[in-house]
Amino acid sequence: MGAPFGSFGVATPWLLWLLPLALLPLLRSATRRTAISAVSAAPADPLSAAIGAVLTVSGILALAGLIVALAGPYRAGEHVTRTGIGAQVSMLIDRSGSMNETFAGRQPSGEEESKAAASRRILGAFVGERAHDQFAVTAFSTAPMLVVPMTDRRDAVRAAISAIDRPGLDYTNVARGLGMALSQFGPAAPGVSRALLLVSDGAAVIDPRIQAQLRAEFAKVRPNLYWLFLRTKGSPSIHDKPAGEDTPQAAPERHLDLFFKSLGVPYRAFEAEGAEAVAGAVRQIEALERDPIPYTEIRPRRDLTGYAYAAAAFGLLVLVLAKLAEADFLRQGPHASTERAAPVARHETPRSDAA
Amino acid sequence: MTPATRALRHLPFRRNLRDRRFQALAAALVLTLAALFAGPLPLTRSGVAVLAVVDITGSMNVRDYTLDGKPTSRLEIAKAALRRMVAELPCGSRVALALFTERRPFLLFTPIEVCADFAPLDGALAGIDWRMAWEGDSRVAAGLHRAIQMAGELDTDLLFVTDGQETPPLPSTGLPPFDGKPGAVRGLIAGAGAYGLSPIPKYNDRGREAGFYGETDVQQENRFGPPPADAESREGYNPRNAPFGASAAKGTEHLSSVREPHLKALAAQTGLAYAHLDGPDGLAPAFTAAATPRPLPGRIDPRPLLGGLALALALAAFLAGLLPARFLQTTRM
Repeated sequence: MGAPFGSFGVATPWLLWLLPLALLPLLRSATRRTAISAVSAAPADPLSAAIGAVLTVSGILALAGLIVALAGPYRAGEHVTRTGIGAQVSMLIDRSGSMNETFAGRQPSGEEESKAAASRRILGAFVGERAHDQFAVTAFSTAPMLVVPMTDRRDAVRAAISAIDRPGLDYTNVARGLGMALSQFGPAAPGVSRALLLVSDGAAVIDPRIQAQLRAEFAKVRPNLYWLFLRTKGSPSIHDKPAGEDTPQAAPERHLDLFFKSLGVPYRAFEAEGAEAVAGAVRQIEALERDPIPYTEIRPRRDLTGYAYAAAAFGLLVLVLAKLAEADFLRQGPHASTERAAPVARHETPRSDAA
Repeated sequence: MTPATRALRHLPFRRNLRDRRFQALAAALVLTLAALFAGPLPLTRSGVAVLAVVDITGSMNVRDYTLDGKPTSRLEIAKAALRRMVAELPCGSRVALALFTERRPFLLFTPIEVCADFAPLDGALAGIDWRMAWEGDSRVAAGLHRAIQMAGELDTDLLFVTDGQETPPLPSTGLPPFDGKPGAVRGLIAGAGAYGLSPIPKYNDRGREAGFYGETDVQQENRFGPPPADAESREGYNPRNAPFGASAAKGTEHLSSVREPHLKALAAQTGLAYAHLDGPDGLAPAFTAAATPRPLPGRIDPRPLLGGLALALALAAFLAGLLPARFLQTTRM
């Protein structure tokens, strides 16, 4: 596979080695051979010579056209960069066991929907609606897991989201998850809006040593940070101050919120206590993330095989007509001796002599 | 009557039509025109749908493969083999990915198509890391049984890449029972690792390598459940106080090789096929042989066949000049 001539290429280049065969019409004619005592006996006939040349060219065209057609010529596809509306969204999704409970903190039964199933439904719709976004999906529980790297293939992102309501794992270790979600953005591209969407139903204490690392990472990547907090009914809110000591251990949600606020990146937290609230929050995020983003559009390569076959067919048509119009020169017959040979027939004499 | 029409009237059409070279060129023209207007023909090809489950437990970090002259871990070879397999599968095949550690597979994504979504699929396979493991146990039999169930739910076949090292070791009672129907889910267990024992690298809590596991670092014998039959002959055996004998268990559980007998027993129990993973190549044919072929809508392009025949005929018409004239005319009918 290659495009050796600019944007043109062929699918199977080795077939082009057959191209010298196309010069065969220069050596051999497809017309009948007739013995003649001396070519020089016939007067020079420019019309016959021209017809002979046309037939040779037609033969070359037919053979070369077929060989090129078999090699599969194409004009290479192009990558065109355009600007659309969208963002790079890195989703960090909590896969701890509690995500499989309902917003009321129970095992789902009947019509009830677990938090994971609700986020699956709503995030799936979010991915489906936005044409030029790029998404990456990271899951975390005890350890972070790279699910899908940053991609514009929405089928793959949807497949990753449709796996999030499967039974989850143990704990909510948000710090390492944030680190991996940030690493999904890759090297900075100018003019690309970046958003980190954390979907979790709990929080955890972030080790102070890791806090410093995360702070540095956030300062480098500078994403818009959204925290979609799926609050179980009756559990503490982000804004609740604990009754006793106000430590990260006592109120991890509140302290994670404070940590996010201290990062110096645009940050919004959404507390959702039901599927409708989640949908509302996702709608708000969607409205906020409307920035121009360069995206690549691939123009498919164009198959030129048809043109090669058309050229070959034209050459063959001329040859077939010529074969039909072949006359018998100097043949003993009722007409050949009386009629002057047609010009069409005349050309073959020098050619067949050469052959 | 013009000279041209007079000449046409006296052309020996019947003789021309009988000319073999005319027939060859005319047939080539018909074939070329057919190639020009023929569309692709529908046809059914067979692809696969697979849930690939990759063991990411500690023993998969054993470097007992060699790739490009360097020792390479089982996990790296498993990733490379899966990436090559995905590249080799026919378009329309679908691959889902799950990780195995502890006692169950963890689904990363439901099946995605291997051609259109190749880039994210390849990226996800490249991103697999042992650090994604959420627990240290490696109960391969339990993980395989649940992976079979998961593949059944996803309506795919199963490809389970593991070295078969059970941590903790299986109890003396042997394999846990399999609840499912053997053979209901088809697929392949790919055994990763060399046949000789190798040390298992140990990592500290910051994920850095820190030596190898020693004999006393790991559980050498599973002492849950009833003691084995030979326990009575062990030194210091006491039915109540020391049912497994008085001495600490000794063994080679801190070293690792591919546990082929165990994996073959699991394959027999669950109706899967078993193949050893010899290197990064060859996983696609091994898996395709074990998997259910799934019909995929495909298309075949008839043009190369038509064009090739046309080329052969046209070349024959020109090369025929080399033959004596008597071969070039069909006999008079």
